[in-house]
Amino acid sequence: MNQFEEGVISLLLVVMTLLVFVEVILRFGFNTGLMWAQELTLHISAWMVLLGASYGLKVGSHIGVDALVRTFSPNTRRFVTALAVICGLVYCGLFLYGSWVYTEKMWMTGIELEDMPLPRWLAQGGMLLLGFSLITWRLLGLLKKLITGQAEGFGLTDEVKESLELAKEAMRLSDEDDAKGGKSA
Amino acid sequence: MTTAALFIILFLCLASGLPIAIGLGFSSIMTILLFSHDSLASIALKYFATLSDHYTLLAIPFFILSSAFLSTGGVANRLIRFAIDCVGHIKGGLAMASVLACMLFAAVSGSSPATVAAIGSIVIAGMVKAGYSQSFATGVICNAGTLGILIPPSIVMLVYAAATQVSAARMFMAGCIPGALLGGGLMIAIYIVARVKNLPAQSWPGFMAIFRSGLTALGGLMLIFIVLGSIYGGVASPTEAAALSAVYAFFISVLCYRDMGPIKGQPWRLKGEGLALAGVRNLKIMTIGAFKSVSDPEVRKVVLEATKVSVMLLFIISNAMIFAHVLTTERIPHHIAEIIVGWGLPSWGFLIVVNILLLIAGNFMEPSAILLIMAPILFPISQKLGIDPIHLGIIMVVNMEIGMITPPVGLNLFVAAGITGNSLTWVLRAAFPWLMLMLAFLALITYIPSISTFLPEFIDHLKGYN
Repeated sequence: MNQFEEGVISLLLVVMTLLVFVEVILRFGFNTGLMWAQELTLHISAWMVLLGASYGLKVGSHIGVDALVRTFSPNTRRFVTALAVICGLVYCGLFLYGSWVYTEKMWMTGIELEDMPLPRWLAQGGMLLLGFSLITWRLLGLLKKLITGQAEGFGLTDEVKESLELAKEAMRLSDEDDAKGGKSA
Repeated sequence: MTTAALFIILFLCLASGLPIAIGLGFSSIMTILLFSHDSLASIALKYFATLSDHYTLLAIPFFILSSAFLSTGGVANRLIRFAIDCVGHIKGGLAMASVLACMLFAAVSGSSPATVAAIGSIVIAGMVKAGYSQSFATGVICNAGTLGILIPPSIVMLVYAAATQVSAARMFMAGCIPGALLGGGLMIAIYIVARVKNLPAQSWPGFMAIFRSGLTALGGLMLIFIVLGSIYGGVASPTEAAALSAVYAFFISVLCYRDMGPIKGQPWRLKGEGLALAGVRNLKIMTIGAFKSVSDPEVRKVVLEATKVSVMLLFIISNAMIFAHVLTTERIPHHIAEIIVGWGLPSWGFLIVVNILLLIAGNFMEPSAILLIMAPILFPISQKLGIDPIHLGIIMVVNMEIGMITPPVGLNLFVAAGITGNSLTWVLRAAFPWLMLMLAFLALITYIPSISTFLPEFIDHLKGYN
């Protein structure tokens, strides 16, 4: 499941990038363009965010302010986080309801996108429903972990830790260079 | 009442550690539910539209992808070598070279903590070996690392552009002079300290060495010229320039530098190989390498990392747009502006308040998140007071820079503590004198608007707009 999700969202980013790249090349190299490219790119970006947000919750790549909750005792922290998760669930519930009404309307009118023959209820409403359902699912999973004591907080991203990995790599390469330089000198 | 509800809910959500994106979305939708007549369906549509109607927003994931490819140890090493060759022979040259390397790396990576980590891990040790004190070296790097978000292309500036509908191209241009000024200012300060303390200089490497290291560094540095050149040459919009730079970054890091990916470590020229033969062989392995990258674990990891960061940022942005929508429909900035105008606060007084507010916020939150929350509030107010939107943007970015080196959430401090193995208090003390320099710089930027607005206006003038 992890690999499938990773594959899908990475692929969406790559396709987006290449679409815009190809469009620029076509415009300057061949003086032509793809009429549907811009709309497709924008929709792909929306799909990427909707599908990726829930994956981000799972792997902890969202940012938040945990300076305060870190000072709490584990049990208080679990309780506060659980309350926050419930807020998140309410947020998802309201969006799911709104998306459902929107999807229903688009389904009945059957309007398509502007440049592509894709029905709006699928490309927009359906993706909203799918995205928020996935986020709901992840939040429920987190809530269960909080209750059983397997998790304490949201597991937010730690940019410092990531940067330090980069530091290690840079140092290793620099040392290798020095070793090489030493030999030639 | 509405204002109070919105901000209290938002504050509680943020304090509880809820991801910022969900906190923004939750507080906005609750406010809508309680105080306004918008239907939830229209909000859902609006939410999707924030993601599918803003072509300029796409520049963000593309730049993140390009910086993911170039924020590597290999690129950092090349830039450092070039910087040392350039200014290393001056008194205090190694420290000045570190600042220069930070500026260059900042431009290709667009991230401050990454700059401190990649450049700092190498040069701090190098400076200590050459006879500098460790606290001096660390302080310099912490501050020079903040340039990452001021020197274009910068992701924080794109976020500001997205939040306020200011042109991203103009923001980039506006960052050039302040970035060069701050980098130059740091170098001059280092030179003065070096004179007083009699710090060592490196030997002069000769023009050939500069040329050679410059050539290897050029691969990464070309990115800046491609981005700025294609935007100002009228070839591409910022979004398209970002896509070009992402493809270029892949090309350079995987196929030319070969620090990662399927043809990692393959030499450009084997021993005793003829030039023509080497050309043919390289063309062959590069073509094969380009196709093999699809399944290469290292390349895939870089793309996945970039995707995670892009999703995280775009998810915040989409929710922040709903937040901004609530602010606008409830006319909250308008009311605040009226109160401020009613006080008779002049624009310079307002800017002091803005600076203090942002400096405090910068101590607790990520730059992009702060911009997305504060810009929709401050922007309409400042327009009423006649402050240039570009100028306000640069002020906000410089404030965010300072937030990176002030506790408790100063990312640069944590990274510096991590790479030197010292305590946070030690790093804070090391960075403090340079922090004063940054504050002086902030005052300069705040009260001399033309530092920020000169270049964009000059470009407009060249193009004959006014």
